[in-house]
Amino acid sequence: MAVQTFKLPKSLKEGAKFSFCPGCDHGVAVRILAEVLDELGLTENTITATSIGCSVTIYDFINVDAIEAPHGRALAEATGIKRARPDKCVFTYQGDGDFASIGIGESLHCALRGENITAICINNTTYGMTGGQLGPTTLLGQKTTTSPTGRNVEYYGYPIKIAEHIALCDGTAYSARVSLDTVANIKKAKQAIKKAFEIQMKGLGFTFIEILSTCPTNWKMTPEQAHDRVRNQMMEVFKPGVYKDITAEKTV
Amino acid sequence: MGKIVIDESRCKACYLCIDECPKKLIKKSEKTNKLGDHLVEFCDPNNECLGCAMCATRCPDLAICEVYKG
Ligand SMILES: Cc1ncc(C[n+]2csc(CCOP(=O)(O)OP(=O)(O)O)c2C)c(N)n1
Ligand code: SF4
Ligand code: SF4
Ligand code: SF4
Ligand SMILES: [Mg+2]
Repeated sequence: MAVQTFKLPKSLKEGAKFSFCPGCDHGVAVRILAEVLDELGLTENTITATSIGCSVTIYDFINVDAIEAPHGRALAEATGIKRARPDKCVFTYQGDGDFASIGIGESLHCALRGENITAICINNTTYGMTGGQLGPTTLLGQKTTTSPTGRNVEYYGYPIKIAEHIALCDGTAYSARVSLDTVANIKKAKQAIKKAFEIQMKGLGFTFIEILSTCPTNWKMTPEQAHDRVRNQMMEVFKPGVYKDITAEKTV
Repeated sequence: MGKIVIDESRCKACYLCIDECPKKLIKKSEKTNKLGDHLVEFCDPNNECLGCAMCATRCPDLAICEVYKG
């Protein structure tokens, strides 16, 4: 008898069709997030505060209540939601620009306050939605529309290592960086998201997952080449790993 | 013996699934989407599909929506 080894998660709206560009990893990230909500039985009990960027469309696809936040303010809004309804699972799904540029204050202070919220940050080293400008995680040497000769330290400064910074906050219970460049890494990414939600539901503090993701459109690459770039360039600087886990014996 | 279901209305012709399949059972089809890009089709004349769901895990657009094994 045939066994079903893959089905679409119920936490996604029936008939959902993502509006991301062909081959964009945002679609994989949203799907594995929905799979985790299914597996933990959290769909009915979850609220999300959404961000600005290509990530914003998540409320069109996911079967949970959502409130839109101004650019960068998702974690301020999520704080209000969680404090009013501490029984709810609350998460944000934000881009690198949203989380670590315009929203860096909200993000760091949410971690410092140790709010019981899970934040997911899609790091694609650019402002995807607005056409590929330099962002906080743009790599040194990377050409963008606002760094046409490549990012150099003298003019633009260094890219931020978000997961490491969040791990340094005393209110953080869990901080990890994962990648979606291979199927094996997609599975690891899903485990990290699951772990973060489990820790949130135990009320142990702020949980964070940085997901290394592609933007084939603005990188002007095929989806395949974009995964090579994640592997060969991004993962060299933004090393995947668990940077903090207060539930584990030892952390990296 | 496995099987996959492709929802062509969701396929954006990114072709990530073609390289992902360890048995090379997915190929470009004659059919095109509304942008004129060739869709993909499952082609398994010798019943080699493992039902491993690597293709569906890689697909970013929910187009490979069901996988069966055995
Ligand atoms: C207050 C404000 N400033 C600027 C913008 C324009 N804007 C929209 S999306 C975006 C950047 C999004 O980049 P990121 O958060 O990395 O998300 P991505 O699209 O790359 O997933 C900017 C600057 C805005 N909508 N609101
Ligand atoms: S602009 Fe980039 S991040 Fe946004 S949907 Fe397209 S490929 Fe994805
Ligand atoms: S389930 Fe595995 S073997 Fe079958 S088509 Fe998909 S990747 Fe190939
Ligand atoms: S990975 Fe999905 S969207 Fe891309 S070509 Fe294959 S079926 Fe179509
Ligand atoms: Mg971005």
